Amino acid sequence: MGIGVQLPALGESVVEGTIARWLVKEGDRVERDQPLVEVTTDKVDAEIPAPVAGVVEKILAAEGTTVPVGAELARIAEDGLQASAAPAAAAAKAVAGAQPVAAAAPAQRATPVAKKMAEEARVDLRRVEGTGVGGRVTKADVKPEAQRGALPAAAAEAPAARPAARRSAPGREAAPAKPAFLSYQLQPGDKLIPMTPLRRLVAEHMVLSKRVSPHVGTVAEIDMQGVVRVRDQHKRSFQEDHGFSLTFLPFIVHAAVRALREYPRLNASVLEDAIVEKKDIHLGIAVETEKGLVVPVVRHADRLSLSGLAEVIEDLSGRARSKKLSADELKGGTFTISNPGRHGNLYGFAIINQPQVGILRMGEIVKRPVVREIEGEDAIVIRPIMHLALSYDHRAVDGAPANGFLHRVRELLETAEFDL
Amino acid sequence: MARALRVEHLGLVPYGEALELQEKRVEAVRAGSAPDTLFLLEHPPVITLGRSARRENLRLPVAELARRGFAVHEVARGGDVTLHAPGQLVGYLVCDLAARGVPDVHRWLRGIEASLLAALGVLGLPAAPRAGWTGVFVDDPAADAAGLAPRKIASIGVGLRGWTSWHGFALNVTLDPHAFDVIVPCGLHAVRMTSLERELATRPEAAPADLDARARAAAAAAFEAWLA
Repeated sequence: MGIGVQLPALGESVVEGTIARWLVKEGDRVERDQPLVEVTTDKVDAEIPAPVAGVVEKILAAEGTTVPVGAELARIAEDGLQASAAPAAAAAKAVAGAQPVAAAAPAQRATPVAKKMAEEARVDLRRVEGTGVGGRVTKADVKPEAQRGALPAAAAEAPAARPAARRSAPGREAAPAKPAFLSYQLQPGDKLIPMTPLRRLVAEHMVLSKRVSPHVGTVAEIDMQGVVRVRDQHKRSFQEDHGFSLTFLPFIVHAAVRALREYPRLNASVLEDAIVEKKDIHLGIAVETEKGLVVPVVRHADRLSLSGLAEVIEDLSGRARSKKLSADELKGGTFTISNPGRHGNLYGFAIINQPQVGILRMGEIVKRPVVREIEGEDAIVIRPIMHLALSYDHRAVDGAPANGFLHRVRELLETAEFDL
Repeated sequence: MARALRVEHLGLVPYGEALELQEKRVEAVRAGSAPDTLFLLEHPPVITLGRSARRENLRLPVAELARRGFAVHEVARGGDVTLHAPGQLVGYLVCDLAARGVPDVHRWLRGIEASLLAALGVLGLPAAPRAGWTGVFVDDPAADAAGLAPRKIASIGVGLRGWTSWHGFALNVTLDPHAFDVIVPCGLHAVRMTSLERELATRPEAAPADLDARARAAAAAAFEAWLA
């Protein structure tokens, strides 16, 4: 049994930390005070040092997981010391952040049965008050804790332990009618990332959309010179007035909502035996955040000016990243635009956000040679080009309106008659 | 427990060199062979990414940033993307928080903020922290009432090895705030960067010629008042 290394209480208001990077691996020899692991909290990156010299026996929290203060991060087999003598020696050196806790310590004040039960149910014995002889923790003390499911899973489990636990207790995880997943035997060095609720939701939605909706894709090549010119012209003053920079996204949104007015079939939903063309245009903007994909909705996007759109998009995407969106702000979209990032993205087809029937996906804007007629002569000129890809639901939309819509978006962007 | 604070003025130091210097001092402070230290310095143009930095907060590809004279470093401190360049006063605090009886990172951050506010007060600029954001902002209730973006004048990012702190703050003194256009500073879209020079320019009587030197002295005095 080794010495436990816990996430120390870094500050009064710090309740958890995320494992950023392990600086050692299992089996490594470490000196006392040698940094073991980097943990990030909201503004601080803390390196947790080894409480004792020894060998890293086990790493208990995988990179990327968030663990509460007090969670055990690793266990170190101390050099030349009996486990029973270790706690005192290590505790004396507890100043340096990592408060060592001997994994063996609880055993001294718990009955063997209680200890076994605690282990199985992953109850932290240090948090259980003992009512037995001499304050020993008994089975009866552990039971209520065990039923409550004591420790947060992320803190208590080594990543590799998960699939094993699942295999050994198939009955406990009642998940009927789920799609079959491929089984995979975890190899050494593999990183297991448990799905967050948001990730699972996104995954299920993607599968649903692909299943119910026959996707068709079409792409337009758009000369962004006019838009670039308008943006450059207003860039400085916009930044001064609004406090953030004007991106291309509001221009695309502005053009798309105007085209949607002319092609209502793209602003629709498919019912069992009818199609609804919707009066209001509420535009979803796909935002990738640290925690995953969210699609906040710009309500009545057709009533907003370009700078109005920019303001709302900035506000929504900022709050999407800081997780301060209300549920209402994620609902009710009638069409979606996705802007998945700038570099190395020529074009691609997004999956339709159900129950909508279309989604536009922006490609990167790159200067390309194109042919233009200048004073009656064909000439090769250099223009900023963006590929804009439309995915549409063929249950509701046929090729002609889809292409008409996309062509209209292109026309609006190339004419670039934008009032801020 | 009273502890000494040594203030060292280093002038212009490349980021990587300053990082090594900090690492050495961290080890020395942990070993008890050096006093707590405040390094005051400036960096040649560099962009640094903290552990929670997101790549999309660089507005340009790394190659383009390099062409514009910015080195890019990933560093073990909290926080997102930030930028250093001459005209910005950088302060690195290598202190043993436990020995100082403050084993609490949030109290430490608040202390850095408070010292910067004190220094800015001496320089004639009212500043304030903002709830929910680390860093120091210009205190301008009229702008807030008008719904204008908060103006950030100093960024804070701290690292800990055990209980020994490193990294610290960056205060824009004469650095042109437009230098920050190449990044989303600290990943905050809704914030504008500003500088002491720019803020004081609206009050000509308050604009001193040797602003960089005065800012350095004010910061040194404020941190000494807190920590020495």
